[in-house]
Amino acid sequence: MSTFHLKIVSPDGVFFDGEAKQLSIRSIDGEIAVLKGHIPFLTAVAVGECRLYVNDGEVPKTAACCGGMLNVSDEEVLLAPTTFEWADDIDIERAEAAMSRAEALLQSASTDADRKIAKRKLERANLRIKVAKKA
Amino acid sequence: MASMKEINLRIKSITGTRQITKAMELVAISKLSKARERTERCRPFYNELYQALCDISTTSTAKDSPYCQAREAKKSCIIVIAGDRGLAGGYNNNLFKLFEELSADKNVCVLPIGKRSVDYCTRKGYEIISSEYSSVEDIDVGDCFEIAGSLCEMFSECTFDELYVVYTNFASMLTQDPGTLKILPLDASISANTSDNHRFMLVEPGAEAVFNSIVPDSVAGLIWGTVCESFTSELAARRTAMESATSNADDIIADLQLKYNKARKSSITQQITEIVSGAGAE
Repeated sequence: MSTFHLKIVSPDGVFFDGEAKQLSIRSIDGEIAVLKGHIPFLTAVAVGECRLYVNDGEVPKTAACCGGMLNVSDEEVLLAPTTFEWADDIDIERAEAAMSRAEALLQSASTDADRKIAKRKLERANLRIKVAKKA
Repeated sequence: MASMKEINLRIKSITGTRQITKAMELVAISKLSKARERTERCRPFYNELYQALCDISTTSTAKDSPYCQAREAKKSCIIVIAGDRGLAGGYNNNLFKLFEELSADKNVCVLPIGKRSVDYCTRKGYEIISSEYSSVEDIDVGDCFEIAGSLCEMFSECTFDELYVVYTNFASMLTQDPGTLKILPLDASISANTSDNHRFMLVEPGAEAVFNSIVPDSVAGLIWGTVCESFTSELAARRTAMESATSNADDIIADLQLKYNKARKSSITQQITEIVSGAGAE
């Protein structure tokens, strides 16, 4: 089986450090997948679902992944997102509360900057709910 | 010899001081374990991010991004992360000394983080970007993103040409070293693998879009890492300082207690002598 070394680190700690078969994430340019032998590659990560295949024929591990960067070098693949949460760790109630808070914020936002922040929060909350419900 | 009353007063006052230093020590200890855990969780991210940024800056595509181009340093921005309170040994002073060294021959503007830092920079009359962040303890990842976002914007508008962080590195419970970190422009010279300079790296969708997106995020990550390190260092420094203050107070109290007992003994001896001589006279 062809695997590559993958590291997933966010400010909240190390989420994965080991051999992986395939990593799919959403970059700012759209969905991408990384397999073994990818050429050196750098992209920015958008708000989206992350799927990690460790073993053949296994259901992938999913996670909510926002921001940061994906850096593929010859030696290893580094995913350094701003926030990262495995689907199992997401608290749906909290995510739903965050979504209603973000919606309220969006309604009351007066400046463009506030609206942008609220939209981003809403997007993130939506993603977390989606990922958590799928798992 | 001082009178018993005087000695007693001093014992009382030192006992009061000791209570305060002991309490501060305990507070520092309880906060420290939490802060240390946070630092340790953040450290791998920080190290990997820093290494990755250095590597990226050596690639050929990176040369197109303004974030990687060194330009003449007309103005430098320095983020100074100090503590909220004093009574932490040399923690704040060591940091400010390093900051003075760094800023000596530069035209600087400052972003102070922490109350002591805000006070210091205001007193010294440095140009301050924002004094909003006057509590290291309450800063969270979101604040770091705000800071990084606005600083990166200022950097790309050429408001300043270099960005440094002055912070304290938490080496262990007993040693904390102040240090500086150059964040912008991303410096190719720091990278470990200088051998294959200008190596090829595919950057999608384009260097500009990618760098505009990842650089503010990464700067935020680096700032967050240094804030964590500094806050943990502050607590560790305070713990050590207060521990030695408490043990000093203990020494003084023991010494005074001895003096007090001696004074008491001599006064009792004197009284007995007086009574005996009075009885003998009768």
